[in-house]
Amino acid sequence: MPAAVRRSLVPAVLLALLVAAPALAGNGGVAPVEPASPNAERINDSYYWVSIFTGAIFVLVQATLIIFIVRYRRRRRARTEDGAQVHGNTNIELAWTIAPVLILVAIGTFVFYKLPGIQNVPDASAQGGRVDIEVKGYRYYWNYTYPNGVIAVDRLRAPVGQNVRLELTAPPFDVIHSWWIPALGGKFDAIPGQTNETWFNAEAPGVYRGQCAEFCGVQHAEMKATVEAMPREEFESWLEDEARAQEAGSSDLGEQTYAGACAKCHGLGGEGDIGPQLRGNSLLDDPDAIEEVVRNGRGEMPPIGKDWEDRQMDALTEYLKEELLGGG
Amino acid sequence: MAADPAAVPQWQRGRFASWFVTIDHKRIGILYIATAGFFFAAGGIMALLIRTQLAQAEMGFIERDGYNELFTIHGTTMIFLVVVPILAGFGNYLVPLMIGARDMAFPRLNAMSYWLFLFGGIVLLLSFFADEGAARGGWTSYPPNSVYSEGNGQDLWILSLHILTLSSLAGAINFIVTIHNMRTRGMSWTRLPLFVWSIEVYAGLLLLVLPALSAGLTLLLLDRQAGTNFFVPSDGGDAVLYQHVFWFFGHPEVYIMILPVFGIISEVIPVFARKPIFGYKAIAFSSVAIGFFSLLVWAHHMFTVGMPSVLNGFFMVSSMVIAVPTAIKIFNWLATLWRGNLHFDTAMLFALGFVSVFTIGGLSGIFLAAFPIDWQVHDTYYVVAHLHYVLFGGSILGILAGLHYWWPKMFGRLLDERLGKWSFWFIFIGFNVTFFPQHMLGLLGMPRRIYTYDDRGLIEDYNLVSSIGSYVMGLGILLFLWNVWRSRKGARAGNDPWLADTLEWYTTSPPPPHNFDEVPYVTSARPLYDLRRRLKERNAL
Repeated sequence: MPAAVRRSLVPAVLLALLVAAPALAGNGGVAPVEPASPNAERINDSYYWVSIFTGAIFVLVQATLIIFIVRYRRRRRARTEDGAQVHGNTNIELAWTIAPVLILVAIGTFVFYKLPGIQNVPDASAQGGRVDIEVKGYRYYWNYTYPNGVIAVDRLRAPVGQNVRLELTAPPFDVIHSWWIPALGGKFDAIPGQTNETWFNAEAPGVYRGQCAEFCGVQHAEMKATVEAMPREEFESWLEDEARAQEAGSSDLGEQTYAGACAKCHGLGGEGDIGPQLRGNSLLDDPDAIEEVVRNGRGEMPPIGKDWEDRQMDALTEYLKEELLGGG
Repeated sequence: MAADPAAVPQWQRGRFASWFVTIDHKRIGILYIATAGFFFAAGGIMALLIRTQLAQAEMGFIERDGYNELFTIHGTTMIFLVVVPILAGFGNYLVPLMIGARDMAFPRLNAMSYWLFLFGGIVLLLSFFADEGAARGGWTSYPPNSVYSEGNGQDLWILSLHILTLSSLAGAINFIVTIHNMRTRGMSWTRLPLFVWSIEVYAGLLLLVLPALSAGLTLLLLDRQAGTNFFVPSDGGDAVLYQHVFWFFGHPEVYIMILPVFGIISEVIPVFARKPIFGYKAIAFSSVAIGFFSLLVWAHHMFTVGMPSVLNGFFMVSSMVIAVPTAIKIFNWLATLWRGNLHFDTAMLFALGFVSVFTIGGLSGIFLAAFPIDWQVHDTYYVVAHLHYVLFGGSILGILAGLHYWWPKMFGRLLDERLGKWSFWFIFIGFNVTFFPQHMLGLLGMPRRIYTYDDRGLIEDYNLVSSIGSYVMGLGILLFLWNVWRSRKGARAGNDPWLADTLEWYTTSPPPPHNFDEVPYVTSARPLYDLRRRLKERNAL
């Protein structure tokens, strides 16, 4: 096989891969994941719009390259034989300067047309109302606070078909994280000392997965988030029940907090990993001592709960005492 | 200027000693390239370790801090110890030869640049042995995370970059002074080889943006060691400020790493197409345009930090503007092939491979510049794919084209063509198999800089394919090294094995210490082509 023919095989194989991938599952990664919220959908629309132009340019350039390689290969010509001594052509050069400009104008116009529907958080007075939730990134978990004060860790519950506004931040003593649930829209950074906002409106019940997208330290890979979208009535009754349970101290907030904030370094059973073993540690008997470590950190452990509400701290100390002190 | 051989003391003439004391731009160039080659091997091994850990879900090969150190030092090595200095090496070797000069303007400063580069590199690699290991905050080392990083790895990372910055600054000044003052008779700006044009822009950009990096790193060091709070929000600092400073350097850095490679491609393609470059002025001026606009696009790395739409919009438009001069270059290279007499020597294969994959890297860049789309793909494997298409598919393939092209000039021996072609196909196919699936990984939701993932199915499949590709690429690099090793006994090259057009091919291979016995008067951008034509005309008479 001459080199020129072999060369042309590779782009062909790549193209085949590109075409075959969607057949494998969903879109197979040739476009952002299946959107489940209007903002994510508009991002996908923009993505497809750009793909039309980039796809065309891709085919144009690679095809020209391959055709020229085949057509103008040397055959039996010696190196001393000159090709056409063409130094340029003003008209052609102007054309291929202006064409990309026009394409970029087309891309830019479409993107700015779609932008408000992606970026602007719907008004609270809009039809169906809006739920505002505070999302705080810590090393290495997400802490959520609902409007009625309910706290949750890593797993965010949200109503289907209602606008949800997220207020993203990180505590001042922490590092930068990035909130990203691909099916529910783009990512935004949770930055210490700064608040960003984003929104979604889940179209169907289900569990949408995502994870922290800004490198935040040793367990960045484990900093995952899920959004569980549930029918609106179900969400509202859960939120009320949870508020009562957290008031009474009978919720699973302690367990959630342990799994999110502690287990990623100390192990789900407290067996120790990056951090020391907790199971059977006599410190667990002393809520004040736990609080001291959690609020101020110790050695390489960051102050993971410096600004927690007492309710969350109490839930954790209770959980530690009950679940991890006894066993061995 | 190269010293009179008789004046060199005996001890400095030894086989090894002569390399330590040399101030000859050609030897310094070779030192740069060889040292960068060594660091490339180190960074490549780190990359293979990374791909091995990611080959399957929940692998336990190298985890957590070990992995985080690897990707941090891999990125830093490839950027600061491989691509930037190897281009300085090409520049050192070629600029004086191409403009018909006897050496760089400041030979001693030149030697200092090289030795600083070597020491900076040693500091970076030895930081693996520091207390708590090497830096592990990514090559961008964003605070506050990098401020809180335990041990001294991060401090040594800063020290190393400071040393490398000094090296590059001195080198940049040297290039600019040389190009402006030491061109031979007739070598006007419009007759300057396009590689020299690109080195001029490369050096200008380094000079403009490296001070920003130094400032940012110094503030970071103060935050870590002196208790200041420039970037620590708990005491009133601003976590995002560093990102602005860093990317004001960091984005032009991307063009610093690609513009001289554009220059290499613009030298190689015409020679193997037996044609003049199509649109010389358009290519030269587009380099300058890219250099200028590269100073205005930095915050497209920061679309997710919550800037106002006006700023996001500005940086989107300015980033897209750069696509225009880049497209001009690609079209010009294609047009140079048109009606040519194409010779597919290994250097040409790498150059054509460059055009093919760099186009893909450029096109994926348009998605990233459109900031709402960036909100989906930012900080994912899509970006990893994009940057490797630009920096491996772009810079490294172009550098390999340059190495195959100028090897005979540097060492007087030809590389083996058969082995060269094998290595090209391994590298080209391995590269695409490694990095193309990473676009899909990012779109499927895999962030970058994670040491493990638990998704089975497609994400795991694409990762495995990518890892296999990386080994194929590794084999290709080994074939290239084997070729280099064998070239000691390769065929003699003669002055001008490719019938090339620029002045470096006028002298012997390798050139004597003083470069030229005489330099012909330069009558166009292709002085040797003119010479050959005149010779032919004379013989015909």
